[in-house]
Amino acid sequence: MISVQNLNKTFTLTKQQRKELNTNQKTATAVQDLSFSCQPGRVFSLLGPNGAGKTTTLRMIATLIAPTAGQIHINGINALSQPQEARKHIGFLTGSTGLYARLTPMEVIDYYADLYGVEKAAREQRKEELFSLLHMQDFLHKRIGKLSTGMKQKVSICRTMIHDPSVVIFDEPTSGLDVITAENIIKLIRSCKDQGKTVIFSSHIMSEVDLLCDDLAIIHQGTLKYNGTMADFRANMQTANLTEEFIRIVQAPNSQL
Amino acid sequence: MIFRIFRKELLDTLRDRRTLMTMLVIPILAFPIIINVFVEISKSFEEGADTKMMKVGIVGDHNKNYIQQLEQIPAAVGPKKIVVFKDSLTLRKAIEADQIQLGLIIPANENNLRENQQTITINWLLDASEVGRSERAALYGSSLQANADAQRLQTLGLRPEQIKPLTNNTINCASDKKMLGQLAGGILPYIFIAFGFIGCMYPAIDLFTGEKERGTLETLLTVPVARWKILIGKMLVVVSSGMLAASCSLIGLFISIEFLDLTDNQEILKVIHGILTPYFIGSLLALLLPLVIFFAGVMIPISIYAKSFKEAQSIITPLNIVMVLPAMVGFFPGIELNLNTAFIPVVNVVLATKELVAGTLSWLYFAGVFSVMCLLATLAIVLSYKQFGKESNILS
Repeated sequence: MISVQNLNKTFTLTKQQRKELNTNQKTATAVQDLSFSCQPGRVFSLLGPNGAGKTTTLRMIATLIAPTAGQIHINGINALSQPQEARKHIGFLTGSTGLYARLTPMEVIDYYADLYGVEKAAREQRKEELFSLLHMQDFLHKRIGKLSTGMKQKVSICRTMIHDPSVVIFDEPTSGLDVITAENIIKLIRSCKDQGKTVIFSSHIMSEVDLLCDDLAIIHQGTLKYNGTMADFRANMQTANLTEEFIRIVQAPNSQL
Repeated sequence: MIFRIFRKELLDTLRDRRTLMTMLVIPILAFPIIINVFVEISKSFEEGADTKMMKVGIVGDHNKNYIQQLEQIPAAVGPKKIVVFKDSLTLRKAIEADQIQLGLIIPANENNLRENQQTITINWLLDASEVGRSERAALYGSSLQANADAQRLQTLGLRPEQIKPLTNNTINCASDKKMLGQLAGGILPYIFIAFGFIGCMYPAIDLFTGEKERGTLETLLTVPVARWKILIGKMLVVVSSGMLAASCSLIGLFISIEFLDLTDNQEILKVIHGILTPYFIGSLLALLLPLVIFFAGVMIPISIYAKSFKEAQSIITPLNIVMVLPAMVGFFPGIELNLNTAFIPVVNVVLATKELVAGTLSWLYFAGVFSVMCLLATLAIVLSYKQFGKESNILS
């Protein structure tokens, strides 16, 4: 389970950034007073246009960066005071995830299994399961640099799931992938849900959200615009389709939501 | 966990051809290539200078006295052809045009000076920028002077020792090892330090900026391992690479001495073999280790800060000059390891290495230099840790 309460994140702007953004302000607020929770066995989608604060929020949940204010709990563990303990429960996958091109998939998986402290017996079993599920046997000992995008994506999935995390964070996981490769991610998210894991994923593609999610939050300019179940969202739609409703919510002032 | 990170990063680094080149291949080949080229060029110049035909232009030798003397000088010194010129101006122009290699001007009153038993000044004209010209002129000059001295003594009825009551003789008390340390002690630490720096450079950029650029750092930082452990694991690879590059240059030096004809002098070879002992190598590596950690500690924050491989390279490459330039202090005579220089980073290691080669490094100075460099290395590690902890640096 993920619990986010009154989350805030402010970045200090460098001179160069101030020049690029054409502002005199010394700080920029990426996330403002964000609260939501993600339940086990359900897929939670964080929806928002580019620059809405989705990646920043997910990075805070993954303990990569610290919030300026607010609280994050992962399975009841305070992610701010016990980040290393929280990380043991988290699997993190992004669309821009890179892999070590000079290593083989097997070497990468073993490395991450060691970093997550997965016991040898459990690791072997887990590797067997994942390799067969993702059909990876043919390229386990080839250098990653020589693999196709689809194969690399499978290695990334395997790396994310090797320690069998109960909370899985996907940051725009299908971005830049073709439909066949993206299908691996869709299957993974469904499989995580079936296994009772807590899944949070960010996207700006409404069709993807419609396909997968049980709960959703829409954020825009760092603030929460909508938080509820997908069923409620569909039931209360004021426009003809999901994409138009998403645009309406993002563009509407808070008083008209 | 640090060792696990180290193991993975080392494997990754050793599979990078660019790093392998700077870490192993170039350092091993550097000494043999540099020394071989140097020896071959020196030999060819020396041989060329000895066997090169030199045209000697002469002005004012009306009695052909000097021409005769020059012709009597054995050809073993080098072949020559004598050409008579009417005036010094034409001779000078011929030398400038390289039609004549040496010019000799005999004063017009030469006969008078000789008869009055006064000093005759003869002038040699030459292009000193050309190899072997000054040496050949000195040889011919000393032969002419010896003849003139003998002639004057005979006229005066004197023996040479009668006008030379005292002669100075210098006896060098320095051991061959010390002399070698003074002559070659400067270049050795320079090369070790340069390779220590270059050896650190590519792994530092690859393991920090490269990982950030390739998008693997973000994932790595989500694992339940303290960031300082990740930093130290990576830093150990950078330091190992620097040490390996410096050690490979030592192996290259050994190969050069053993397999290239550096010198026929058995005494010098014996001294060189005497220097390359386990004690020398151990002490040298002990001096280099904190210096290489210091290099790594300076490069890592830059690599963490830089957003691309290119940016990191453009900052670290000029740093090479700032860091390695002080190592040239070893080339200057008179600068020694003392209480002041022992506190100057890089310079202290160079001077200590120089004394190590000469066999004059005291334990007190060794400990002092080692402590100063360890302190700087620690500061560099703290700086790296602070940079690695900054959110703005680790995420693109």
